[in-house]
Amino acid sequence: MHSSIQPHSYVVLRLPSSTLKIVQVVPNTIVSIGKFGSFPANLLLGRPYHLTFDILEKNESNPQTDLRIVSAAELHAEAILDEGDSPSESRDELSADTADGVEYDVQDDGSVTLRSNQNTIDDPNRQSLSLEDIEELKKLSTGRDIIELLMKSHSGLDEKTAFSLAKYAVRKRGKYLKRFTVLPLDVSLLLEWVLTEKEAPRIMELREELLGLVLCWSNVHHMMPLSNAYCPDDVSASGRWLVIDETSGLIVAALAEKIGVLYEEEEDEEDEERELPDSSRSYPQLNGMPVKVHQSDAISTEEKCSDTQSNGVPSDSAANRSSTLQPQMPVNRPPKHSVRAQSATSNSITLLHAATQPNISLLKYFGYDDSNANEKHHLFMHLKTLSWLQLLSPEADSTYQEPEVVPDNILQTWRGGKKSSYFRKRRRWERVKDVIDDTRRGDFDGLVIASVMEPAEILRHLLPLLKGGAPVVVFSPNVEPLVKLTDLFSKARRTAFMTNPPDDSDMPTEDFPIDPTLMLNTMLQTSRARSWQVLPGRTHPLMMARGGAEGYIFTGTRVLKGEGAARARGRFSKKRKIERGEEIEDDS
Amino acid sequence: MPLESTAESPFLTPFSNSSSENLAILYLSRDLQVPVQLKEASQTLSRTETNSATNSDADRDIVVNTRFGSFPHSTLVDLPWGSQVLASKVDTGSWAKKPNGKKRKRDESQKGEPSEHDRDSEELSSRREQGQRQAKPVIAADSGFAHLVPPTPEIWTRALKHRTQVVYTPDYSYILQRLRVRPGTCLIEAGAGSGSFTHAAARAVFNVAHVRKKKKYGKVYSFEFHEPRAGLLEQDIVGHGLQSIVQLTHRDVYKDGFCVDDASIEGAPRADAIFLDLPAPWLALKHLIRGGTTEGSYSSPLNPRTTTRICTFSPCIEQAQRTITTLRSLGWVEIEMVEIMHKRLEVRRERVGLQEEGLRGVNPSPANVSEAFERLKEIEGRQRAFHENQPEEQKAKQAMANSLGMISKAERLKNIRDAEAKRKLYKEGRLVHRTEPELKTHTSYLVFAVLSRQWTADDEKLCREKWPLGDA
Ligand SMILES: C[S@@+](CC[C@H](N)C(=O)[O-])C[C@H]1O[C@@H](n2cnc3c(N)ncnc32)[C@H](O)[C@@H]1O
Repeated sequence: MHSSIQPHSYVVLRLPSSTLKIVQVVPNTIVSIGKFGSFPANLLLGRPYHLTFDILEKNESNPQTDLRIVSAAELHAEAILDEGDSPSESRDELSADTADGVEYDVQDDGSVTLRSNQNTIDDPNRQSLSLEDIEELKKLSTGRDIIELLMKSHSGLDEKTAFSLAKYAVRKRGKYLKRFTVLPLDVSLLLEWVLTEKEAPRIMELREELLGLVLCWSNVHHMMPLSNAYCPDDVSASGRWLVIDETSGLIVAALAEKIGVLYEEEEDEEDEERELPDSSRSYPQLNGMPVKVHQSDAISTEEKCSDTQSNGVPSDSAANRSSTLQPQMPVNRPPKHSVRAQSATSNSITLLHAATQPNISLLKYFGYDDSNANEKHHLFMHLKTLSWLQLLSPEADSTYQEPEVVPDNILQTWRGGKKSSYFRKRRRWERVKDVIDDTRRGDFDGLVIASVMEPAEILRHLLPLLKGGAPVVVFSPNVEPLVKLTDLFSKARRTAFMTNPPDDSDMPTEDFPIDPTLMLNTMLQTSRARSWQVLPGRTHPLMMARGGAEGYIFTGTRVLKGEGAARARGRFSKKRKIERGEEIEDDS
Repeated sequence: MPLESTAESPFLTPFSNSSSENLAILYLSRDLQVPVQLKEASQTLSRTETNSATNSDADRDIVVNTRFGSFPHSTLVDLPWGSQVLASKVDTGSWAKKPNGKKRKRDESQKGEPSEHDRDSEELSSRREQGQRQAKPVIAADSGFAHLVPPTPEIWTRALKHRTQVVYTPDYSYILQRLRVRPGTCLIEAGAGSGSFTHAAARAVFNVAHVRKKKKYGKVYSFEFHEPRAGLLEQDIVGHGLQSIVQLTHRDVYKDGFCVDDASIEGAPRADAIFLDLPAPWLALKHLIRGGTTEGSYSSPLNPRTTTRICTFSPCIEQAQRTITTLRSLGWVEIEMVEIMHKRLEVRRERVGLQEEGLRGVNPSPANVSEAFERLKEIEGRQRAFHENQPEEQKAKQAMANSLGMISKAERLKNIRDAEAKRKLYKEGRLVHRTEPELKTHTSYLVFAVLSRQWTADDEKLCREKWPLGDA
């Protein structure tokens, strides 16, 4: 993710009312934030995130609307005033800290170690300001200015009153400010924005604390494909995640963020001084040990890799796999196509959808639009999509049918338009077929489900597609579906199943809608983050929070049946190796 | 060597099998998941084979003993993850008689075998001949099995031997999310303690840039000032193949801050995120400031180009308040404090009804009005019959009961027990959920804040040149 604001990127503006607003920063345009004003987008471009700005309107001294960075000290003016106000402890703490050797970088505004007068009577009248005062205050920029003003005009006041006035002024001023903070649009912030500003059901009311749990329990992370120590030529695909996401793509985005395929890599000036990523597709040295990096895993270089292919036939293993199943491409090459969609073999997300097309509309905020996909985006290769029909019954899906192969000599006679449409069709078919075959092959590293569909049935179809030891995570806004699901894996039911296993052909039975021995370590949980206000002398949990769906998470671990269920093996002697060899044959 | 081990970290890599010298988890039950650093006796077999000394230690199998049976390492190596493993018959007697048993055990630990399973075995069973070796061929036991699963930070957090309080999944998952820890993030962590957070953080920052020497590669810079603890954690890190991702420094961070030497990155740690699980986080904050622009002498541990995010983790409100006061004075913004309230739920079937009489773990009172009504009617009828037949007294009572189709209580209970064996209890009763018996109602206060990167007048000037305002 970029650390500065890029042209055309989406950013989040937090306004004084703490509402969030997503804006796209298009160069040479005006960003308008309603009654809070507007300003040129160019004033944001290239700037770092997490700065707070005041909008300075055009006036006599200001020929143009401008932005002014608000310092942290100014932002904290009220709290710092409070700090000075609240009796003794906090100041003692400060001095105690200093005794501990802490040197505080207390800002100008922090100079409020003034003594308070505890005997002052709190009289609201004494704190009120005239309209002119407020007008005056609106023009002032810093908390210190306000204090100064107050101290000047009310020089007879005791300190306590001055403090109260200052605090009042600072608080009041907040209401008149044309102020905003610029935040990077990432998954957590997008989630917050949808929850608070949009319809929460769009993301199944998923809160950040629950998303955090989903991401950890699914064990999703970047994976490095490695050559097998025993068999260096075999570079296995790794980091393949199977997902059902009915949160408009939020879960997909979250997984992509954790895998490292959501954002562009940052290129910045420092790149020149520092070591550049090697652009070749060679075998990077790993402390002297050559490691074959799979095409689709060298994320930053894969696009370049594909560009270097001289013919249109992709050379990654997915294509090799399918090439054994399909007739060789005609000699007449299709037009060069640099990147093959959905072709990553590692660090990939396979999204299974219930409608003809997946709903991943939220991905547009990360620069990915499914209907008009950007080839440069990691998700172009790393996000694979297929429907339940394509998974369960590919033959029933017309896109799985191979389009007719036209012999070269005929192809040569075709017009350009006809030819390119022919190649387009072939390419689409190849892509669809690859994704379907790849998914049906199974061996996924994990499964994440956020769906309104009945979870047991989903799992019945998908558990067999997971590796042994792979985590399963199901999110549901309501507890009931997950209670039912958990019950299907209860100890009693598992025992009953093992004592008297139904015939495979009878599954699923009424008593066993899903084989309970396919998963263990099932757990049901929920979590809620409770926010606090922490101000000197006024620390307490917030009084209100979002209600609605509580949100629950079911987790489990896929385990193997029969085939992997090992017998205790005697391998004391040299015979061991042979035995193991036999087992491998047995297993395959 | 270190990188090779990284490649093999079972926490990160896709290998589909358990392997010798690597960590695996022996899953026995939800509350008993045993980490096992696998050691295959056969590794040294080739050497000892040639000797006639068949009794040498090296070719003996290490055995994990649990209350679900014994599992020699040889039965655990090279299995596909998720496999079921049957317990083996292990001859403990012959080993125990060996006079040099103790010595052997010592040798083993000298070989640097991490001690997880030694520690955990203590919770396992009464028999704790951990690390015992047996030389007999393994024979399957009649009962007992376990599953072999790959380690994850979630399992590790629960299975590790606690040397300190640790951060559990509900908290660390939220912290990592809020701190935006992603592949490529550089994270500072202090104190490392038992390494629970460390493992989750290592998984989150890991990326291939590690081997590709790309600029942005993820790393965890971990600090711990308690020497023995630091030593044990280092053993774990190496044993788990994480040493190129986690750099552990034994240091008092209050005093000496966070700057470290790292051959692979200049000006390390260049942190993007910070997690402080220390008694007095505010004492460490003074080391987490931006480098001076003009003074230049101070070298900051923070990445100068990114926003720094911090989380401090303190059980007491006073600690949190003090931290926040200090954060404010040091220019951190977006300061927020939360508590995570996490609940595990139990799902069970609540069996209620007369058919449950005398059974265990049930409620034998009537399940509904009809049952209550029928039962009351029956008792009423019995009593009336009894009173009407006073003269015949007890002798006739049994006959009467029989004639009314009634049976003795003992018989009834027996019938109920017999019936139970045939019932499908797993689908009877009312399906309910409730929270686990012991609820953690407070772990710590999580304080979050951000420190934006430095933005000087010069930076602003350059930016205004690059993005001029025009006349708009
Ligand atoms: C609660 S534990 C951390 C647990 C850890 N987060 C985990 O999840 O396993 C706190 C640790 O901080 C260490 N510590 C305390 N003060 C320290 C200091 N000044 N410098 C480095 N470590 C310190 C302690 O030795 C202790 O191990």
